[in-house]
Amino acid sequence: MAHALQRIWNHGRAMRATVCPLSRPFSSDALVQLQPGEIGKVSGIPEEHLRRRVVIYSPARTATQQGSGKLGKWKINFMSTQKWENPLMGWTSTGDPYANVGDAGFNFDSEVAAKEFAERHGWEYVVKKHNTPLLKVKSYAENFKWKGLPKTDGN
Amino acid sequence: MGLGLIASRAIRPVNFFSSSRFLLRTIVSKPELQSSAAAADASPEPDLPPRTPVGGARVHFTNPEDAIEVFVDGYPVKIPKGMTVLQACEVAGVDIPRFCYHSRLSIAGNCRMCLVEVEKSPKPVASCAMPALPGMKIKTDTPVAKKAREGVMEFLLMNHPLDCPICDQGGECDLQDQSMAFGSDRGRFTEMKRSVVDKNLGPLVKTVMTRCIQCTRCVRFASEVAGVQDLGILGRGSGEEIGTYVEKLMTSELSGNVIDICPVGALTSKPFAFKARNWELKGTETIDVTDAVGSNIRIDSRGPEVMRILPRLNEDINEEWISDKTRFCYDGLKRQRLNDPMIRGADGRFKVVSWRDALAIVAEVAHQVKPEEIIGIAGKLSDAESMMALKDFLNRMGSNNVWCEGTGTQPNADLRSGYIMNTSISGLEKADVFLLVGTQPRVEAVMVNARIHKTVRANNAKVGYIGPETDFNYDCQHLGTGPNTLKEIAEGRHPFFSAISNAKNPVIIVGAGVFEREDKDAIFSVVETIAKKGNVVRPDWNGLNVLLLNAAQAAALDLGLVPESSNSIDSAKFVYLMGADEVNLDKLPDDAFIVYQGHHGDRGVYRANVILPASAFSEKEGTYENTEGCAQQTLPAVPTVGDARDDWKTIRALSEVAGMRLPYDTLGGIRSRMRMVAPNLLQVDEREPATFGHSLKPEVTQKLNPARFKSAVENFYMTDAITRASKIMAQCSASLLKK
Ligand code: SF4
Ligand code: FES
Repeated sequence: MAHALQRIWNHGRAMRATVCPLSRPFSSDALVQLQPGEIGKVSGIPEEHLRRRVVIYSPARTATQQGSGKLGKWKINFMSTQKWENPLMGWTSTGDPYANVGDAGFNFDSEVAAKEFAERHGWEYVVKKHNTPLLKVKSYAENFKWKGLPKTDGN
Repeated sequence: MGLGLIASRAIRPVNFFSSSRFLLRTIVSKPELQSSAAAADASPEPDLPPRTPVGGARVHFTNPEDAIEVFVDGYPVKIPKGMTVLQACEVAGVDIPRFCYHSRLSIAGNCRMCLVEVEKSPKPVASCAMPALPGMKIKTDTPVAKKAREGVMEFLLMNHPLDCPICDQGGECDLQDQSMAFGSDRGRFTEMKRSVVDKNLGPLVKTVMTRCIQCTRCVRFASEVAGVQDLGILGRGSGEEIGTYVEKLMTSELSGNVIDICPVGALTSKPFAFKARNWELKGTETIDVTDAVGSNIRIDSRGPEVMRILPRLNEDINEEWISDKTRFCYDGLKRQRLNDPMIRGADGRFKVVSWRDALAIVAEVAHQVKPEEIIGIAGKLSDAESMMALKDFLNRMGSNNVWCEGTGTQPNADLRSGYIMNTSISGLEKADVFLLVGTQPRVEAVMVNARIHKTVRANNAKVGYIGPETDFNYDCQHLGTGPNTLKEIAEGRHPFFSAISNAKNPVIIVGAGVFEREDKDAIFSVVETIAKKGNVVRPDWNGLNVLLLNAAQAAALDLGLVPESSNSIDSAKFVYLMGADEVNLDKLPDDAFIVYQGHHGDRGVYRANVILPASAFSEKEGTYENTEGCAQQTLPAVPTVGDARDDWKTIRALSEVAGMRLPYDTLGGIRSRMRMVAPNLLQVDEREPATFGHSLKPEVTQKLNPARFKSAVENFYMTDAITRASKIMAQCSASLLKK
C-alpha cells in the first residue's frame, strides 16, 4: 500500500515536472523562446520590481526541532526591509509588494527551479551555499570506552 | 499499475503544491488495513524512488572498504560500519522520531521513541543505540513500530503538562510534532500529573521543569559540549529531576544552546519568554559579527523588530551551536541607536541636522586640514564594503592613515598566513597538541573553544597555555604568563617543547591581543621558531594560527587597512571613526574634528563633532571574513532605524560632496572594486587558505619584552557597541561574572 502510494506520488512528480510552469520553464522546443525578465514584464509588474536583487537559499533546519519535513526546499529572499510600525494601530506596514512573498508558500523543489524563476522575472540573484550535515559513525558503546586514566585537575 | 496511473491523475491536482517530502514517509494510520500490504512489500521493488539522506546529509566514510549494506523499508543503503540503525534510516531518507538522540551528543538511549522493527528481532529495537549490522532489514512503518511509538508517546505524555497554549516552545516542539504524528488520539491516564520545582539557571535560560521529559540532552550538552558539569539528573522514577543539585547558575558561555536542544519547553529563552510565537517570525539567514568566528545564524524578526537569534548549521564553523553573546545580544540592536545625523553645537549639545548639511560640513572641514592630518579608523563591526570605501575615500583625500581598530598600529597585512587561522576551525579536530599563546579562546572565540574542547574530549589532545590566569573548560597546562616561557619553548628548554615536536598534528594559536603589543614582531618570530623546530607547518598540515578578535579584522587586513605612520593620531586634525569605539584618543590634539559614523551612541560619540547614523549588521548586506579566512555575507533582516544609512553609502555620498567622487554607486560596483584588492572576499562561503607560508618574512630585530600577556577580552558579554547596549548582556555580566 505504501509503495503503491509512493508510485502514485512519483508519477505525480514526473507530471508536475513537465507541466507545471511554476517550477520549470516551457520546454525548449516550444515556438516561443522566453527572454529573461519577460514573464515579469508581461504580467505588468512595475519596472522597479523587475530589477530587484534577490537571494536564493535553502532554509536550514530550525535548531529547536529535529524534524526534517521542511528541509530541502529552496526559497527566495527578497531582502525586503521597507517596513515600519504603523503609528495608528502599531501594526507593521510595508512599502514593498514582495515583502511577504518570500516567506509565504513560495517554495521550489530545486535550486535550478528557483534560479529559472528568478531569471524569468529579471531578478538579479545570488545563490547561497546550502550547508548540509555530515553524518559520522556514532555508537552507544562509545560511552563506555576506556579513554585512559582520568586526568587530575590543573597542571 | 493501471489503476495506480488513473489514481495518480486523479490526485495530482490535490497534492500539486504540497512538499515533495510529504508522502515520502508514509505514516501508517490504520494498522489493520496496512499490515498485509506492508508485510508483502518486504522485498525491494525495482521502481523504488531514489532517496536522499535526511537534510541532504553527507556520509563520512573513514574507510571506504568498511561499507555495509542494510535495507530500510526494503530500500538498500550503503553505510559505514558501526553506524547505528537510526543513522542508516537517516541515510535512507527516513527520519526516525527521537527525543534523546542528538547527532552532536553522545547516545543515551533512554526515551525509546526511536523504536523500529528489525527483521528476526523479537522486540522492537531502539534504533539510536543499536549498531546496524550487514544485511539488516529495518522496517520503520510497520504496525509494530507504530504501536511501539504510540506506547512510548502515551507514557511520555502521562506526566507532561497540557501547557502548549502558554508554552514558548509551542509550534516548534518535538513533543508536540511527534505526538501529532505518532501519538494516540487519547490517553488512558487518569491520575494526577507530577510537578517539579523550577530551577534558576541564570538570566538566559528559563526553566519549567514540569515539562521535562528526562531526555538528558541538556545534561549531555553541558558536560560534552559546554564542558561544565553543572547539570545532572537527580532521583529516579517519577521523582527524577534535572537540576544542579545545589542551586547554582549555569555558568557557561554556550548555555543558550540548551534552549534549542531541549525537545520540549522545559528549557526556553528567558529574554524571549512570551514575546512572540515562532510562527509569526520571519527568519533571515545571515551571520554573526560579535566575534571573529562568523557563526551562521538565523535572525528571527517580527515586523521591524529582531525577536531572537538562532544558530544555523555550518559544519565548518559553528556546527549547530552559537555563543550566548551571539544569541542574546539582539536587544542591544534596539537601544541607544543613533537615528539622525547630528552636529555638536557651540554649547556642546548635539543638534539634529539633515544629511545634506552634515555631509557638507564634514566635507568642508576635511578640505581645510592637510592631507596627512586626516585619519580614518574602522570599527570592529565594519563590513568589508565600507572599509573599502573608507580607504578609497581617504586615499583620494591624500591620506593613507586608515586602519581597523584592534589590529595595532603596525599590523602585518602582507602575508595572509600571518593573521588567519591556517588550520581552519574544523581542522582543529585533527590536532593532538595545542599551544595557546596569549589567547583565551573561551572568551575570545567561543566556537573555536568548543572545537578545542571537542578535540580534547575525543582524542585526549594536550593543551598548553601561556597567558594570564584564566578558566578553561578542559584540561590545560598553564605553562607561564609571559613571552619568556615562549622563549624557553623555542629554545627547547621547556618540557612542552617535546610535546609539540612529538605530536602528529600540533597546533599553535596566537591571540590577536598580541597585535597590540610593541614587541609583536618578536613574539611572532619566536612562535615561528617553535613552529619550525616542532614541525608545525608541513605541506600537509599548517598548525600555525592566529585567532582574531573582531569580525572586521581579517577583511581589514586583506584590504590593506594599514596606517602609514604608527603615531598619526598625535597630529591628526580630522578623524573619521567608522564605528570605532575603542581607539585611544587621549593623544589626539584638542582642536581635532571627529566624525563618528556608527549605529550606537557608544564610547566613540563622546568626543565626536558630527554623528552620522549607520545601519547595524542585521540591517545591511555586508561581507565579513572570519578568523579562518572564510568570507561570508550578512543579509538585512529588519529595516534600519530612523534616517540611518549603510556605511559605504554614506562614504560614497560624502565623497561626492567633497568633490572626490568614488567610482562606484552600487553594491555590485563596490564588490568589483574589492575583487581587485582582495579577490578572496568575493568567494562567499568558501574558505580561502593563505598561499604563502611564514618563511618569506624578513628577519626580526625587535627585542622581546618580558611583560606578561594581557587578556584581550575583559568582559565576555560586552565587547562591542551592540553588546554594550544590551540589557541582557548587562544582566549576564552582573550575575555570571560577579562583577
Ligand atoms: S530539560 Fe529538556 S533537554 Fe533537559 S532532560 Fe528535560 S526535556 Fe531533556
Ligand atoms: S532516541 Fe533512541 S532512545 Fe531516545
